[in-house]
Amino acid sequence: MGKFWTIVGSEYAQVVKKKSFLVGIILTPVFLLLVTILPALFAQRGISTPEQYAVIDADGRGIGERFAQSLTRYMLDDDSTTQAYKLARIYSIPGGDARRIDSLRVVLDSAIVSKDLKYYVVIYPGIEYSDSALMVSKSINFRSGTRFDRRLSDILAEIRLESSNINLPVDSVLGMTRRIELIQASPGGKTKAFESVYFGALVFVMIIFFSVVSFGQILMRSVIEEKNSRIMEVLVSSVSPFQLMMGKIVGLGAANLTQIGIWVAVGLVIFSARGSLEVPTEVSGILFNPVLIGFFVLFLVIAYVMYSTLFAFVGSICTTDKETQNFVFPITMSLMLPIILLMYIVQEPDSTVSVVLSLIPVLAPTMMVARLNIASPETFTFGNPVIMEAVIAAVLATLFTLFLIWITARIFRIGILMYGKRPTLPEILKWVRYK
Amino acid sequence: MTEYLQLKGITKRYGATLAVDNLDLTIPKGRIYGMIGPNGAGKTTTIRMIMDIIAPDSGKILLDGKPTDDNFKNVVGYLPEERGLYKKMTLREVILYLGQLKQKPRKEIDARLDSWLKRMDLLEYKNRKVEQLSKGMQQKLQFITTLIHDPEIIILDELFSGLDPLNIELIKNVLLELKHEGRTILFSTHVMEQAEKLCDFICMIHRGRKVLDGALNDVKGKYGRNSVHLEIDGDGSFLDSLPGVKAVTRFTNYFELTLDDLSRSNDVLQAISSRVTVLRFERVTPSLYNIFITVAGGDKPDPAGEEVARG
Repeated sequence: MGKFWTIVGSEYAQVVKKKSFLVGIILTPVFLLLVTILPALFAQRGISTPEQYAVIDADGRGIGERFAQSLTRYMLDDDSTTQAYKLARIYSIPGGDARRIDSLRVVLDSAIVSKDLKYYVVIYPGIEYSDSALMVSKSINFRSGTRFDRRLSDILAEIRLESSNINLPVDSVLGMTRRIELIQASPGGKTKAFESVYFGALVFVMIIFFSVVSFGQILMRSVIEEKNSRIMEVLVSSVSPFQLMMGKIVGLGAANLTQIGIWVAVGLVIFSARGSLEVPTEVSGILFNPVLIGFFVLFLVIAYVMYSTLFAFVGSICTTDKETQNFVFPITMSLMLPIILLMYIVQEPDSTVSVVLSLIPVLAPTMMVARLNIASPETFTFGNPVIMEAVIAAVLATLFTLFLIWITARIFRIGILMYGKRPTLPEILKWVRYK
Repeated sequence: MTEYLQLKGITKRYGATLAVDNLDLTIPKGRIYGMIGPNGAGKTTTIRMIMDIIAPDSGKILLDGKPTDDNFKNVVGYLPEERGLYKKMTLREVILYLGQLKQKPRKEIDARLDSWLKRMDLLEYKNRKVEQLSKGMQQKLQFITTLIHDPEIIILDELFSGLDPLNIELIKNVLLELKHEGRTILFSTHVMEQAEKLCDFICMIHRGRKVLDGALNDVKGKYGRNSVHLEIDGDGSFLDSLPGVKAVTRFTNYFELTLDDLSRSNDVLQAISSRVTVLRFERVTPSLYNIFITVAGGDKPDPAGEEVARG
């Protein structure tokens, strides 16, 4: 065991002492922000034909009319004389009869599915206390979501001001009011806080992606360096190849966790310095959801060990960086796939395709974290199908990882002493059977 | 002779190639043991099997009569043929890391580090990075990392390959000193001339098989004393056709003549001195190289130990 920890310590120190470690701590969040926010900005494509919307106003103070009036300011992107949003109808339900709202929603849901309607907004009674309204559309729409959110918030601020007899210009108080939370939903589907769905899932998936790819490649390079510098033979005359491989995985994993730990610590400091006022409930809902965080850490560790083992495998059979590229591409792709599919998963988190994909071991960590994020289970109960699936996915992925470690260990011990020509697949299979 | 490290019936096959064939070796304690043979003879494979880097297909490796276990790795100092170091680490870091991998406490290594660096003339580089060292310095550093944990057994694969002459002398002296301290040293080389000067016991390996082994003096005695070392001032091409000379082996600075009959060595000397100036004419035991030629039967490796095609 002593030797194992010596390797762990040395691998850890070698990485942490490098400047690139510090650079990674700073640049990764920046890059993370870029790749999460930029596509969202691009996704805000212009509105070229007027979009139909309806309002269910169960409040009875004319908020629906005021909202419709406020939307008239938005014009089409390529035609500044035509309004972007076209009101289909305002359904007034004074008194807010819940049954009437529900039956109306069924009708409007089908209108959305048949594309007769693009959005509908539900304003429930007592909106100024709940600070939330519902926006239903087929897919999450950032641009319209932001606009609807802002207009409703302003109207609510005005109503508050009017009812409070304070004589101030409306504009001067608008900036001080709370934003309402626009909950976005798919027709007939579950509701979910608007911004956190996509971004929350994306950030979690991205953290897994970045740490696994960057530390996996560090591991692969260190194996290749030890092969090329011919120090490998000295190492395996002191420790077993298995100890060496696992020592590297654990040592670099610790460095990886250090990096994430620093991000979390810095994040918490910024978070608390900003005060609780501005923290959106979606963010705190994720950060302080122990079920979600627990699964995230679990899947991060599984993903890291699984992919590091794959990278160790590649490092042991290659001699140059160039040779590794053929292997690194498919590995990176299998980690990228969930990011590409994320839009779909956000909208259809419980479809058969989403469930099946999230059970495949190589995809499970990122897919499952995305799905958990959407479902945001409050408590750990096996009755919850998402939690059940997450547990099954974790077990399958762990078993797969153990198998991967076993087979890689058998190849690693031979590959690390082979220089020059890259082995063919039949040769690699032969190594597995060697004594 | 006390048996210390024993190999019994070791065999290793790579596909159709038989790299090591039913090899038995007995390495005595506190002696320098040389394993010699041309490149590709199976020396490195044998050493790797001793080090448990690769597993033999069959056969046993015993230390003091017991199969080698995990602790064996801690009592061995091993210098492989392919040598390298972490270029970005400092000398001290490299020595500490490799020493700790031999299960030695960090403090103990740190305490011993300076005297070794001083001995190898590297003390001033202690906190420099390995990449700043010259090749010769790196060789000395590798030698330190092999010995820093005070090993009982020292195994050196192709000991002399890549070493410059100054370092060869330095390392030879250290090895002789370690022998006097009772350490067991096993080295392999294809440079037989070098092996002859250093080892007490030898084993000749050819095509994966042991062709000869024993104490150096016994081996040499067995192959008679009909050899002569000859140093001349001038061209020695006539020697091949000289009557009374059976064979001529050319070394860098001298010839080794195998005579038909040693009692007629004076006739040979006269014949040579009538043509060129003789600087030295000495009756000797045959060189390991010539013994090797005799036992290996005509497969001639280059006497100076130059690269021979790997088989």
